[in-house]
Amino acid sequence: MVNALTCLLKKKVTEDIPVQDDEVEAIGREIKTAIDGVFSRSLAIRELDTGSDNTTEIEINNLNNPFYDVERFGITFVASPRHADVLLVTGAVTHNMAIAARKTYDAMPSPKFVVAVGDDACTGGIFAGTYAVLGGADKIFPVDLKIPGNPPTPVQILAGLLVLMKKVQ
Amino acid sequence: MTAADDIGIRAVQEFLGKDALPDRIRCGSNNEQYVLIEEPEFGTAVSHLAANKFVLISLFCCEDFSAKAAQTLFYVFERRTSILVLVRDINGRATTIAGIYPSASWFERECRDGFGIEFEGAFDTRRLFLHETYPEGFHPLKKSFRNAPIVTRDAVNPADEYPFREVKGEGVYQIPVGPVHAGIIEPGHFRFSVIGETIFNLECRMFYKHRGIEKLAEGKSPEDCIGISQEVSGDESVANATAFCMAVEQISHMPVPERAWYLRTILLELERVCSHLGDQAGMLVDVAFPLGASQFSVLREECFRENDRLTGSRFLRGMVSLGGMNRDLSRAQLDELDAFVHQLRNRYKIGLKIVLSTASVIDRFATTGVIRPALLRPLNITGPSARASGGKVDVRINHPYGIYDRFAPHLQRLRDGDVLSRFTIKASEIMDSLDLIERLIAAIPEGEIRVGAPICDGYTLTLVESARGQNLCWVWIRAGVIERYKVRTASFGNWLAIEHAVQGNIVPDFPVINKSMNLSYAGTDL
Repeated sequence: MVNALTCLLKKKVTEDIPVQDDEVEAIGREIKTAIDGVFSRSLAIRELDTGSDNTTEIEINNLNNPFYDVERFGITFVASPRHADVLLVTGAVTHNMAIAARKTYDAMPSPKFVVAVGDDACTGGIFAGTYAVLGGADKIFPVDLKIPGNPPTPVQILAGLLVLMKKVQ
Repeated sequence: MTAADDIGIRAVQEFLGKDALPDRIRCGSNNEQYVLIEEPEFGTAVSHLAANKFVLISLFCCEDFSAKAAQTLFYVFERRTSILVLVRDINGRATTIAGIYPSASWFERECRDGFGIEFEGAFDTRRLFLHETYPEGFHPLKKSFRNAPIVTRDAVNPADEYPFREVKGEGVYQIPVGPVHAGIIEPGHFRFSVIGETIFNLECRMFYKHRGIEKLAEGKSPEDCIGISQEVSGDESVANATAFCMAVEQISHMPVPERAWYLRTILLELERVCSHLGDQAGMLVDVAFPLGASQFSVLREECFRENDRLTGSRFLRGMVSLGGMNRDLSRAQLDELDAFVHQLRNRYKIGLKIVLSTASVIDRFATTGVIRPALLRPLNITGPSARASGGKVDVRINHPYGIYDRFAPHLQRLRDGDVLSRFTIKASEIMDSLDLIERLIAAIPEGEIRVGAPICDGYTLTLVESARGQNLCWVWIRAGVIERYKVRTASFGNWLAIEHAVQGNIVPDFPVINKSMNLSYAGTDL
């Protein structure tokens, strides 16, 4: 039979956290406070790629790796726009994605916020003024915040979300 | 290698006769043979190449290349170490070769959208990268079209919607997925035809992220174009920038210092390690094994941070330049990288052991998503996906560039072609790349990292092995600016493989099959 005391007292099966990012922790704590206050402890984000070069997706994905693990701050990436508070848009808006992007935005319940992540989503980047794109995300829906960078790092994206939280507050 | 040894030239001699050759053949600077082909000979030539196991690796169009015709089509064939380019002059119309080479279908549709060329006898004439909202008769790659914003339709009538292949029968139903997916990934549409839970047919519709990369490059100086080549597919930045710079360097006879090639190769291999680590983490997420996934995603994040420390970019951008490198790495940085690689390898082995000793993971991976070896040639499947199905294809070995002839990787090869094979191949390739990086750091010579030289006019074709497979780049410089930049990443061919790999599998296994092939949407859509 398993002795409950042994379970409590034996050496814990866990590893040390390899890196402690003070910057991430500090931003995370602030975001958590803001999310707790405004969004009842949970901020749901839907990511929408309207024509990026895939680096921005990789960096947004990295927010979920054990170094950042943003879920502990109350941020979740959701599978449907119908569950989302915030739309993270990456990449210049291509003509081929315009209809799907509008549908995604329309499917979100109000109040909703749009954040353009990366230079291409902010202004169209190097694709601005060409035949294949409409331009930045603000060409098809209102954008509340722009996070520039090619691509912005996970910390910059997190810091951007904090700015959005403050704006919303 | 002399012309007589080249199997490409031998094949041409077989169908054209020995006398016809000298004035119609031109050897490119990358040892690719351009053969001018007359219309009556074309059909026999292609059949002959197909019979001799040549693979169609690209097909693209150019305007104003020949004085005799409006457009010129370049059919690029590869067999082992030889590359043969059939140069075909046309005036708006051509016969299709999709019946012989199925991979030609996407290429031909691409030429049709870009230049308005009609391919007679083509079995698929739907538009490819121009979706329904683009106006009829719009062909952006024509020189007569100046790159400027255009007006597209806001909505599509149901009658004009893209006709997917329809599978009919009792109990068959369709599952449309995308272009906006549930995860944090790029857009694409998958149309499954399913019976019960088993996938009967899949059709992928891509090009949602078509950004007009090729047109954007036109008229730019080669220097400005490096940034564009890095945008083709972000996690292949070094590979695509290297392919582009190599092309310009070969056209301009620009010398590249030895040290620069060592640095480039280190970055190319680092990029491969990063990409494979991400795939492996993703595959484990898709079979719900976060313990294993975390092992690899932690290592990947550390790789990104190491990239940042070395180059100032987590994606190693802005380093490769014309004639060499933009920045050098100091001895201290290289020593630090050496130590990093060493500890990465040890920790990677621990993670790998956890994964490969977990029965539930092996159970999901084994026999899932098989790519049959018979598909490799007709669809030009390359990279780890091909090597996991018994393919002997690796640009670093078949067409060594830079210093890969001296630092050849070990050809990794498995035969089963399932998700497990692809996972295992990627594991071996990570170990191999780490070894390679250590050998390069030990052997790197001192010296210049960049030699300037003027840009010359001309054209050439280059191949680079990216993490995903064979990336092809064809550059034509005229009057010092880019006249045509054709880029074809490995994913363009590999996307066709997934339609076959998923057949007979259940729908819930699709994500792991997709991830195991690591297909780039951006690199395909351009």
